[in-house]
Amino acid sequence: MSLPVKPFLQRLSQPAAAAALTTAIALALPALAQQPAPATPAPATAAPAAPTAAPTPAPAAPPSWMQGRSDSDAASTLHPFAPILTGRPAKELPVDKLKVPPGFKVEVYVEGIPEARSMAMGDKGTLFVSNRNLTNVYAVVDSGGKREIKTVLKGLKSPNGIAFDKGTLYVAERHRISRFDGIEDKLDNAGDGKVVIDNLDPTSQPGHFWKYLAMGPDGKLYFNVGSPGNIVMPSYMQAAIHRVDPKTGVMELYATGVRNSVGFDWHPGTKDLWFTNHARDWVNDDTPHDTLHRASKKGMNFGYPFCHQGDFLDPEFGKGRSCSEFDKPATKLGAHIAPLGMKFYTGKMFPAEYRNNIFIAMHGSWNRSTKQGYNVMVAKVDGKGNVTKLEPFLEGFLENAKGDPPMWGRPVDILQMKDGSLLVSDDYNGVIYRVSYKK
Amino acid sequence: MSETLAPRPAPGGNGARRGNAATGSRRTGGAASSACARGATLAAIVASVAIVAIVALAVTMSGAGAADNAAVAEKAKLCVACHGPDGNSTDPAIPTIAGQPKQFITTQLVMFREKNRRNDQMLPFVVNLSNADINDFGTYFAAQPMRVAATALPDDKAAEAKQLVTQYRCNQCHGPDLKGLQHIPRLAGQQPDYLRTQLLGFKAMTRFDMDGNMTSAAQAVNPAHIELIASYLAGLQ
Repeated sequence: MSLPVKPFLQRLSQPAAAAALTTAIALALPALAQQPAPATPAPATAAPAAPTAAPTPAPAAPPSWMQGRSDSDAASTLHPFAPILTGRPAKELPVDKLKVPPGFKVEVYVEGIPEARSMAMGDKGTLFVSNRNLTNVYAVVDSGGKREIKTVLKGLKSPNGIAFDKGTLYVAERHRISRFDGIEDKLDNAGDGKVVIDNLDPTSQPGHFWKYLAMGPDGKLYFNVGSPGNIVMPSYMQAAIHRVDPKTGVMELYATGVRNSVGFDWHPGTKDLWFTNHARDWVNDDTPHDTLHRASKKGMNFGYPFCHQGDFLDPEFGKGRSCSEFDKPATKLGAHIAPLGMKFYTGKMFPAEYRNNIFIAMHGSWNRSTKQGYNVMVAKVDGKGNVTKLEPFLEGFLENAKGDPPMWGRPVDILQMKDGSLLVSDDYNGVIYRVSYKK
Repeated sequence: MSETLAPRPAPGGNGARRGNAATGSRRTGGAASSACARGATLAAIVASVAIVAIVALAVTMSGAGAADNAAVAEKAKLCVACHGPDGNSTDPAIPTIAGQPKQFITTQLVMFREKNRRNDQMLPFVVNLSNADINDFGTYFAAQPMRVAATALPDDKAAEAKQLVTQYRCNQCHGPDLKGLQHIPRLAGQQPDYLRTQLLGFKAMTRFDMDGNMTSAAQAVNPAHIELIASYLAGLQ
């Protein structure tokens, strides 16, 4: 335990009980001193306006998850699920309920990383893990078979996106991308990093402001800028995937009409960009589907906010438009299923049938009366780049599809280890699982 | 899609982070509003802190690992000095934490610690808490039965208030019986001054709000209704 008194106690010997009491009093007093209400005007930061005093402030917009909800759904009790910000010990979790195909094994790889989101692997074997609601980037290092967690970066603004390339960790916050060169040699003193590009969030946008980040085969960093609400007209740089050259800081718009992508990877053969995308909410339980996309070139438009899932015109923004104007998804994944991290499997540990197919982490639905997702699925891709099959791979997080909450864990990102095993992060519990295979 | 719940910037930059949540307009009235601050309880809180200090010393010295229930109860004495025996507050301005959903307790402690929800009284007590401590407090206080301190409103007033609660859709998030769920707090039986202060803070956009839900919901609430709603909720079993 580490209570406020502990730093003092550590310096005290046992006979110093009287001193401990004194210390406790000294510690308690500053808190108490704040309390008595003086007969002076309140400090500017202290009190909300009394009902009669100030003019009513401008009404707050609905939270972005509620934006676009129709009147008929106004009494809906569906709501997003918040992560447990302290994390949960793995021993409190029903990990034995997790299921993988025969021959595979799933186990807890590391726990105690609150809100574990995106993952990136360093050249020297450091596993970096990011946050979305919290503000840290963590490093997991193997020291003598024991995994140690260090908080390497603190106080960042939604640092959801991380990518590692040639000794450098890149971190995408809501408003900028920074680089931390040689970070694996200075995990205890990573410094402030150098800015690659700034001003990515000039309006402090609501909605989907966190970023996914990945290094492309062209040496450029790819990242999303999400839509500023559930269903709204995005600005010129929102609802899009961009890339930036880390050497020059030059940014390009790569794909548009992408409501929010929180996972991408490149096909190991064709080098095409593939990415997951979240469709809008509050149409109904089964429409529209979240999607998997292939962007074979720069400049494609995937439809948001006019057309969803390649063939569903938006009830509001679709008027006067046609889905034929836009590029189609590679496949539909399921309504509200919330696909996040995705990775092509290139390892040798798993059976050959998994090679060059895509593992996708489904964070799971909230805007659906019967919940779905909360698993890792595998999308089989044929030689021509068509998705031929979509099947579950890692299941068991979903406990009760009608429950609130329906799950005990939520997959976020996928990382392939050097040995070919897969890591899956779970932001609900702050746990990372490892899936391995043995004949 | 499910990628939605994250801190939401307040209109005008840092607005949502300015809030001083548990210390609201009541403090400006000139009267000491907190039992925590009164001289009569000063000795008690100091003694409690001292006991915790000694227990902490003992735990540290004995090298005890996972805190057992008794140790958590001892740790929790730090909280009950202000929040009342077993987390049932006896002060209308200080929230009852007994019987709140565990995830609500832990989320708020994290937010106090990270200085998102700013509160000068809470900060010294949470600034050095580990996640394990916070989880222990969450487990402990969620398991304590909540005792409703306020008396229920007379039937006619209660009916009027219930209609307002329905109109403002409080139970849409806080649950059919307003007993909270997950990261959403229990309102039924909560201290009335605290409820009023929070609601006013949300309406003024000064109370920290992780996801913007309450800031949005509070905009619809007529200030003239807040007193009645708070009194009604405080008396609900």
